[in-house]
Amino acid sequence: MSTANLDPTLNTHSAHAAEHEEEDHRMFGFIIFLLSESVIFLSFFVGYTVYKTNLTDWLPAGVEGLEVREPLINTIVLVSSSFVIYFAERFLRKDNLWGFRAFWLLTMAMGSFFLYGQAVEWMGLPFGFTDGVFGGTFYLLTGFHGLHVMTGVLLQGIMLGRSFLPNNYAGGEFGVAATSLFWHFVDVIWIILFILIYVWQ
Amino acid sequence: MSNASLDAIAAKSDQPFPGAPNNWRRFFSFSTDHKVIGIQYMVTAFVFFLIGGLLAMVMRGELITPEADLVDRTVYNALFTMHGTIMLFMWTFPMLNGLSNYLVPLMIGARDMAFPRLNAAAFWLVPVFGTLLMVSFFIPGGPSQSGWWAYPPVSLQNPTGNLINGQVLWLLAVALSGVSSIMGAVNFVTTIFRMRAPGMGWFRMPAFCWTVLSAQMIQLFGLPSLTAGAVMLLLDLTAGTSFFDPAKGGDPVLYQHFFWFYSHPAVYVIILPIFGTFSEVFPVYARKPLFGYRFVVVSSLIITVLSAMVWVHHMFASGTPSWMRMLFMFSTMLISVPTGVKVFAWVATVWGGKLRLDTPMLFALGGLVCFLFAGITGVMLGAVPFDIHVNNTYFVVGHFHYVIYGATVMGIYAAIYHWFPKMTGHMYYEGLGKLHFVLTFIGVNLNFFPMHPLGLMGMPRRVASYDPEFAYWNVIASLGGFLLGVSTLPFILNIVSSWVLGKRAPANPWNAIGLEWLIPSPPPVENFEEIPIVVSGPYGYGSDESLVANNPAGELISEHS
Amino acid sequence: MTTPTTPTKPRSLSFRTVAQLVALAIADAAISVWVGRQAYLWMPPQASAEALLVDDLFGFLTTIGSFIFLGVTAALLYSVLFQRADKYDISDGPPVEGNLLVEILWTTIPLGLVIWIATYSYQIYDQMAILGPMEHMNHVPSLSLMPSAEAATLPAVPEQTPIEVHVRQWAWEFHYPDQNIISTELHLPVNERARLKLISEDVLHGFYVPAFRVKQDVIPGSTIDFGFMPIREGRYRLRDSDYSGTYFAANQSTVVVESAEAYQQWLATAAQQPLTEADNRAFREFTKLGDRPISAGWKTVEPAPPPRVNFASSEEDSYE
Repeated sequence: MSTANLDPTLNTHSAHAAEHEEEDHRMFGFIIFLLSESVIFLSFFVGYTVYKTNLTDWLPAGVEGLEVREPLINTIVLVSSSFVIYFAERFLRKDNLWGFRAFWLLTMAMGSFFLYGQAVEWMGLPFGFTDGVFGGTFYLLTGFHGLHVMTGVLLQGIMLGRSFLPNNYAGGEFGVAATSLFWHFVDVIWIILFILIYVWQ
Repeated sequence: MSNASLDAIAAKSDQPFPGAPNNWRRFFSFSTDHKVIGIQYMVTAFVFFLIGGLLAMVMRGELITPEADLVDRTVYNALFTMHGTIMLFMWTFPMLNGLSNYLVPLMIGARDMAFPRLNAAAFWLVPVFGTLLMVSFFIPGGPSQSGWWAYPPVSLQNPTGNLINGQVLWLLAVALSGVSSIMGAVNFVTTIFRMRAPGMGWFRMPAFCWTVLSAQMIQLFGLPSLTAGAVMLLLDLTAGTSFFDPAKGGDPVLYQHFFWFYSHPAVYVIILPIFGTFSEVFPVYARKPLFGYRFVVVSSLIITVLSAMVWVHHMFASGTPSWMRMLFMFSTMLISVPTGVKVFAWVATVWGGKLRLDTPMLFALGGLVCFLFAGITGVMLGAVPFDIHVNNTYFVVGHFHYVIYGATVMGIYAAIYHWFPKMTGHMYYEGLGKLHFVLTFIGVNLNFFPMHPLGLMGMPRRVASYDPEFAYWNVIASLGGFLLGVSTLPFILNIVSSWVLGKRAPANPWNAIGLEWLIPSPPPVENFEEIPIVVSGPYGYGSDESLVANNPAGELISEHS
Repeated sequence: MTTPTTPTKPRSLSFRTVAQLVALAIADAAISVWVGRQAYLWMPPQASAEALLVDDLFGFLTTIGSFIFLGVTAALLYSVLFQRADKYDISDGPPVEGNLLVEILWTTIPLGLVIWIATYSYQIYDQMAILGPMEHMNHVPSLSLMPSAEAATLPAVPEQTPIEVHVRQWAWEFHYPDQNIISTELHLPVNERARLKLISEDVLHGFYVPAFRVKQDVIPGSTIDFGFMPIREGRYRLRDSDYSGTYFAANQSTVVVESAEAYQQWLATAAQQPLTEADNRAFREFTKLGDRPISAGWKTVEPAPPPRVNFASSEEDSYE
């Protein structure tokens, strides 16, 4: 049996296979990580729901409720960016690098628009982080999500940069797939968050 | 052309084995070898075990008299807070992670973990947050004094008024520990799912790997909840929010839910690998297959699922409505069914075997008896009316120390002795091992049994002073505590001297079945010369079936030696 | 010389084995029943109706627990003593991999046992009718799915103004609103359901009287209705059961259960007395910093000043 080891072709072959496997492991591991990460959001959502249903004076004094219009525009932009990033990935799969870069950049722009919109909204709000449990949970949820959006945009930037390395994305790219998955994840979280905070008032 | 690969093989076998005397420096490096990382984890954890144990002995010194006369009350409160924190986050978790790190790839026939660098990073966080915790002893105001649950509002009180205080450092350390554990969990689950050797189907996998998988899945769904609670507590403490501060409209009971949603399942993170150890050790030293293997391994997964539904039993006397108390009483008791399946299976494994009472077997048997006792008091605690009487008393302290010291630490000792020859390539001294067992077993019962009558009589936990009627049992418990301190000495002596001077260990000193026993002791860097092809189940004692179709050790061990 | 016709290990259980097993089970049961009886002695005096119920439950749990513990450890001990391999015997034991019937049995029997224990505990809880933080005085918890338990339910809560229990870091204070009395000792009439309002002024505390077997965390920000039934005259210890900071252990008080006449008389006397400063152990220790062996000088939350009350008792007073 041990002579099999001496065959160099077999060795290189298994080395290649191992590399591919490693790639697979990374996606598997990343999905597990995202599942776990989603429990943090779930905990915050549960906390928010418990507070909202139990507290009698939920809104801080002088606050009527939240404006929905601008956040809705923001939501539409963020949700549609999920489709844009999907097309970017399809271009990459067809080895159309420029198509990939264009759509990828568009996703980044939409993500940045979302962050900008969020910042504008925060500036205009009549309550702060320390204004009762409502203020605390509002900024905690939107802020923690915003941190994820920011991370997503940064990751996208790195992936875009790496697309300029020659032949880097020839065999498919784990980083791109993972970033894209992460982006969908951030989107789904936002939809739940939007419903909880803005729609359910 | 074949010269190159021959050279490669030569180079490979030239690589020194971990534990070789000229090679100790690798244990202080950012090694990505799962075996080195495993030993790094275990040794680091053991150092913290000694620190946590010293804190406990000072506490027992305080409690030997009813008055608060040895240490200041603030010091006592810091002691029990840090004792609990260190023993959980710096001893049991890292220790079991180390053990799993060392064993899982060997047992499933992999050359390493799925993500070796992530593995190393997860380990190196341990000394970082360990240092953070230790530093908190030396800052103004001292370490956290709110107990290891850090229940608000006490944990929010911050009498020093400083931004950097014991509670903040505590929260940062726990958060880092959480990051490290999540990294570890992702790694373990991926490794077990995707890197099993050819032929190792789910029901050919050793029970230990099943329990590690079950335990790490709990980390994945549970830890984020603690993280969420800790983030909110940290913001309350530093940024002025009011999530848990009732004075400003917050809800302190919500924190308890966040905390226990993780911290109860955390007990199963700890005990499951010990169940795995029992399932590995009993067959070897009773020379019989594990009785009812499938029931045993599947019950681990059932425990994982049930563990997510029992957390409120820590809050039966807290802000919980009656329906919740009743519901969680039932789910809590239900968990004793899969656990009972395991206990009965181990007894049936031992029954009618040809027992060899080596040190690992003694520790496993002792651990099993302690676990049985703890399981029975656990069901008692699940019964709400009784729990209302003993909740937050020494009865609970006695119960979980039987789990954590009696079952877990003894189980860890069993594992260390059992795999010590494999890890170091040396045999330990049997006489010292048996002495260690006797001292530990007596110490555990002397220390922790008296806590049960104390709790029934109504002595609350976490008290620095107590009424005189509790003195009698407390003196016995303190003596037991000091004995437990002494019991670590023969262990340390044994491990250190036999690691350096002990007799060389063969590949399979126990005549055990398992992939890890088919390769040299200690295993070479990439474990298997040839990835094993598994052809039978993990516990074929008493039958002549071969475990593998090839020789995974290659030339390192020839087939018939 | 072996005779091949007589099998050394029969597959089916012989009459002799069954008889032995039954005898062992009976012995185990007898010992367990005895241990279960002893369980009552490990508890504090039974000073409330709840205590009788809880002790019955504990006795029952102890009996079942002992039966299992003794059975399993006896089997293990027998193995360890009599089934050891000889020194040079390296052979394996019998390759028994399992027995489906046995495995199903030891899954279903514990399941049945658990349902039994849970149902019994549920009935006890129902009879105790403890008021939790989510229930309110006027409706006794409507848990009762089982009408049979209803009959045994303790007398419903009578209408009377509840006594307010105020707890802070680190003192207990009892307010009797009808008589306008403040006391550091809780006086209750015997055989009458006590009604309390638990109020925490700062952090979590726990109201715990071991002799009554009742306990409830006192949660700041909410007032908790609580009730139980003292049935035995005497002085009992009240302890803080939820860790509340530096002087947590010193936060104790006394509950006095007395006859209706003595209770009324105490109320009358106490109402006459002017407010005086009570002794408070936490405050005393805090102000007398000198005699501490090992002190790190860590800053602590300062204890509240001693309560000013109509009736003061000292922690050093005797109790059962």
